Amino acid sequence: MCQSKITRKVIITNSEGLHARAATLVAEMVRRFEARVKLAKDCEGVEGTDVLQILSLGAAQGEQLMLEATGEDAERVLDALIDLFASNFAENGENSEEAENQP
Amino acid sequence: MQKLQGIAVSPGVVIGEALVMDNEGFRIPRRFVTRDTVEDELERLQAAIDAASRQIEHHREAVSQELGKQYGAIFEAHLQMLQDSRLRSELEEMIRQRHYSPEYAVSRTLRRYAQVFERLESSYLAERANDIFDIEKRLLRHLLGRRREGISHLSSPVLVLAHNLTPSETANLDRRFVRGFVTEVGGPGGHTAIVAEALEIPAVVGTGPFLTDVSGGDQVIIDGDKGLVILQPDEETLARYQHEVEEIRTLAVRLESLRDLPAETADGVRLQLLGNIEFPYEVDHCVDRGADGVGLYRTEFLYLGSESEPTEEVHFQAYSQVVRAMGDRPVTIRTFDLGADKVPHLPAPEDERNPFLGLRSIRLALRNLPLFRTQLRAALRASALGNLRVMFPLISTLLELRQAKMVLADVMEDLEEHGVEFNRNLDIGMMVEVPAAVMMIDRFLEEVDFLSIGTNDLIQYTLAVDRSNKDVVGLYNAADPAILKLIATTIDAAERASVPVNLCGQMSGSPTYTMLLLGLGLRRFSVTPSVIPEIKNVCRHVTTEQCRAVAARAMTMENARDIKSYLKEELKKRLPEMGE
Repeated sequence: MCQSKITRKVIITNSEGLHARAATLVAEMVRRFEARVKLAKDCEGVEGTDVLQILSLGAAQGEQLMLEATGEDAERVLDALIDLFASNFAENGENSEEAENQP
Repeated sequence: MQKLQGIAVSPGVVIGEALVMDNEGFRIPRRFVTRDTVEDELERLQAAIDAASRQIEHHREAVSQELGKQYGAIFEAHLQMLQDSRLRSELEEMIRQRHYSPEYAVSRTLRRYAQVFERLESSYLAERANDIFDIEKRLLRHLLGRRREGISHLSSPVLVLAHNLTPSETANLDRRFVRGFVTEVGGPGGHTAIVAEALEIPAVVGTGPFLTDVSGGDQVIIDGDKGLVILQPDEETLARYQHEVEEIRTLAVRLESLRDLPAETADGVRLQLLGNIEFPYEVDHCVDRGADGVGLYRTEFLYLGSESEPTEEVHFQAYSQVVRAMGDRPVTIRTFDLGADKVPHLPAPEDERNPFLGLRSIRLALRNLPLFRTQLRAALRASALGNLRVMFPLISTLLELRQAKMVLADVMEDLEEHGVEFNRNLDIGMMVEVPAAVMMIDRFLEEVDFLSIGTNDLIQYTLAVDRSNKDVVGLYNAADPAILKLIATTIDAAERASVPVNLCGQMSGSPTYTMLLLGLGLRRFSVTPSVIPEIKNVCRHVTTEQCRAVAARAMTMENARDIKSYLKEELKKRLPEMGE
């Protein structure tokens, strides 16, 4: 297993911040790869698969997160996550606000 | 053993088993588990998490299919939160190392996350705290199984200990098994107090925080006479209280024999002893005690006990039940007497910095005519069935009284047009509970059929005291000479105008004041049904002449403390066993 650690920065752009569904998508994405991912805001770092911890970061619009990956797929998982953040977590063009507000 | 001092709001003493409730009206389970059951408890936690996960998955599928995939997404988030690895290790640590019960661990841990969320700056993320509460509830439901219940379903007698009780909790509680209440917050006159009185069970409120020191199933004593709560009493204390419970029972049996004797003084002056009620079932308590009628039927629980505004039919059912049960004895309905903050179906008040001086009671009713008219229509319809009277609360100006009467007249006309039966000549009265009403009492007397003095509010407004504020509650005293003067003025004026006057505050239910009030000329007492025999007993042992002397003497005194101790002394002279 490759132990090299890769880090990337990402800015939260969507208006609601890293909300519940977004955190779920992040965790789902991380699980698809052979890699361990940590998310950090300021200095706290949390597991990329722990939705409750990701939410506890309270990452709001305009804030920066540090993504840190180790493992075989480290490079690819970060690419995928960056894309996910860039898409504002919209899934198939569905309106994410609506999905969140009407469980 | 631990003793707590709170405010006594409903008399009596009870010994029983604790049922501890959380802020949402659910029971908080026992806090600790024993060392050798830790593994079993961990398994129980795992089983609950699995069951909750399956349930959430099921919801997700159902909702996704029915409404579309995006609507199921929130359940996916819940599912993932539940599988959070750090959450799991935190829970396990609490059970393994600290021997917390899984229920307690779940509650504590998830509430901590909820707090973290609530503190987040983004209001959107902060709202996610509700998701956490949802997960907590779900887990607890699985952990406790059928045991997770509020107080609407009980299977054995309990004493309910809670931070606070909501009106709907108290309104819907299982009456057969609740034997007493203790709440950490609250004051006299709150709904816990009212419900406890209605159920005739002891209650103590405003004890301050203690729920973390007590576990479900612990033995507890509630002393509703002294405002004491004793957690896990020692043997001596327990024996003492068991003896007291026995004595109270004996006295109650003795007073019961008074039921069929008339309410009159020793010199034969006939009095009216009426009951104060809140719920229709309390009418039985009135009948059992031989009440001369219902002097105050509070209607607030019709609004508080349900989520939606009560319909005319809901009002009518309640009123007609009471009116029918009382036959030709009078039933006095007090119209809507709440603040806007208490009524979920009214718009939230905008500028209510001082609710007791704000938009409440008759003022609110006059601003929400559809709501007011619904109640009046129901009351009028019920007036056809017996001796119903209508009373308006918190009247402070003549204009208000006239407006309220106009609305009533308007509703009457409406009913007449539709050929609905009602009593056209029903008595209309007002509460005297604002000092301004006493100042203007002669003018008011020209426009009402009866008066009812509400001492609870009258004391608060006259002495400018919030009686739920423990720093000033000492000033709140029915024996204050200013209060006695207002009561005397009202009774005198009513007598001159030949208008019947009733007193329905807590003061009239306290034997300490019975002689004084009789001496001031009061002939109608409206009290909690349970104290009717006690008050009747006092009345039957004293003459009006003695009472006039007591009142005259009391009126010369300068402060509440002297007056109260004098009144207690006098009572003890006539009825030695009633001296507290």
